[in-house]
Amino acid sequence: MTTDGIGAGLINTGSGLVDRAIFSDQSIFDREMEAVFDKSWLFVGHESQIRNNGDYFLSQLGRDQVVVTRDNSGKVNVLLNVCTHRGMPVCRYDRGNAKMFTCPYHGWTFANNGDLTGVPLRTEGYGGNLDRAKWGLIKARVVCYYGSIWATFDEAVPEFEDFLGDMAFWLREFLMSPDGEDDGIEVVDGILKCEIPSNWKFGVENAAGDLYHDVSHKSVQRVGLSLSKLRGRHTWDADPATFKLLNITFPAGGHAVRGNLYDFANREYQSQWAAIPEVDEYFREAHYTRQKRLVEKERLLNRGGVVFPNFIYNAANRTSITTLIPRAAGRTEIWKWVFVPKNAPQAVKDAMRHYLLRYTGPAGMVEQDDFENWGSAQLGAESILARRLPMNYQLRLGDYAKWAWPEPWIGAGALVDEGVSEHAQRVFYDRWSEMMTGEPQTVRQEAAE
Amino acid sequence: MSAQVTETVGRPAASYSSGATLKQRVEDFLALEGELLDERKFDAWLDLLDEDVHYWMPLVRNFEFSRPQDEYSEQGVGAAWFDEGKATLRQRVMQIQGGDHWAEEPLSRTTHITTNIRIVEATDTEITVKSRFLLYVNRREEEVRIFVGKRIDVLRPTENNFLLKKRSIFLDQTKMLFKNLSNFF
Repeated sequence: MTTDGIGAGLINTGSGLVDRAIFSDQSIFDREMEAVFDKSWLFVGHESQIRNNGDYFLSQLGRDQVVVTRDNSGKVNVLLNVCTHRGMPVCRYDRGNAKMFTCPYHGWTFANNGDLTGVPLRTEGYGGNLDRAKWGLIKARVVCYYGSIWATFDEAVPEFEDFLGDMAFWLREFLMSPDGEDDGIEVVDGILKCEIPSNWKFGVENAAGDLYHDVSHKSVQRVGLSLSKLRGRHTWDADPATFKLLNITFPAGGHAVRGNLYDFANREYQSQWAAIPEVDEYFREAHYTRQKRLVEKERLLNRGGVVFPNFIYNAANRTSITTLIPRAAGRTEIWKWVFVPKNAPQAVKDAMRHYLLRYTGPAGMVEQDDFENWGSAQLGAESILARRLPMNYQLRLGDYAKWAWPEPWIGAGALVDEGVSEHAQRVFYDRWSEMMTGEPQTVRQEAAE
Repeated sequence: MSAQVTETVGRPAASYSSGATLKQRVEDFLALEGELLDERKFDAWLDLLDEDVHYWMPLVRNFEFSRPQDEYSEQGVGAAWFDEGKATLRQRVMQIQGGDHWAEEPLSRTTHITTNIRIVEATDTEITVKSRFLLYVNRREEEVRIFVGKRIDVLRPTENNFLLKKRSIFLDQTKMLFKNLSNFF
């Protein structure tokens, strides 16, 4: 619970209003780093980036740089990239393979599990009194979840699966190959990194369930991007089967998913990669294998979503993970991992890689327009006059969303609205407000009654 | 800008001159290409690309001294900023030309500066050219992006001119310091 009032009174999802200061005020941003980012599990990377013992890569845990390693025993570690002696980053390469990291300043040396193994002048200078066990690199709690790697430095954050709640199914499903095999995807080498002049939350709320922003992507819809030989940017646009469009939220954790629930079970595959028959054939087979593996849940198409606070993913053949790394109230670094199915033929991997790189990131024909618009929204959030006017999140405000709907197996913790709605954004900001102020969120209060 | 300032002669002047050296003709071609982009004559620019053109800009990473070969992501395997053929470059041009591609609406002002042009290898069918580039982008009121880097181009001689067969663009940035790569290099 905060006592200085920072973060209080900014969110009123009952009336659908949000104060613009949450995007522009640096003191709110500073509070977010402690109250939100330090208290959440954050995604740092994927196990396919560190296949062999000694492999490592640099990543970000909120504003802190970390080294993600697979140590000599094969265990995954997330280490704060700060020498415990004088604070230098001990690793300065984006990725590599190393048994140890030696600080370039005074030569303290750390094993790839973070243990301090070497200190110059240890006997002569420290008289043998330096307890090396106390001065290793700071180690995060780490969870590997179907290939994805998550970490936090906070001991009080609940266990990862409790933090996920009923979101677990969606994250696990996203990490499957198209044929429904667990841990079925691998990273395409190279993380796409860029910087956008916008608050981190604009990107998250967009991915949580903003199905209202089609005008952003008018140009790519007009030109076409998918390899289905039809206009549009999504492969599923080629599937004429009818579905309910769902905004599935998990208010306890603030997570959200955009999904299609098809009206009929075991629908036939509709060609979605017609431009490359070999690839289309892979997806045809995968479609039927997935139906068998997922049983009743095969009716769901996972389009994408958010794990609170800053992990967003795009699914449904646009297999990519984005983290929004907060740098300042109006400055965010975007990191993007793109994935292909591990066990697919090379032609499938190539086709997906090309499709993804044309879709995503600062050179992507879809996301260029997102980045442009989030940067423009930031201008409005910083306008002195407009600060008197809250942001409007009133689309489908009211008693529309239902718990554990349309099917009970979607989860008791799921609160779902149908169609184009700002329900998911309201849930996101409710959870954000709860973490910032310690006051229980309105949606959860209703659930408890 | 008035029309007379921006009007480009359709073919490089050096190609008319029988005395022009290969290097002069190559320099003229690269200057023409940049001019067409800066004057937003994107369709005319596409006409200078071979049907089988490969347009590639890898990611750039920080690697240790002993692994220089890993600095750029691997062609055909790794991620890349651009990995395009003519069909998808044409799609990108079409996207710009609709008034609804917000990342380029209104269109950016660009200036392509190509310099340090050196012919590395020349046969009857292929000319490999190294150069350095500076792409200045200015859009809306205050946005400025400066891209600097190296290019390796492969040109295919035609009767009067060249066609661009392959362009590899090595940007001197690891993290993209700007929000968008919505311009051609």
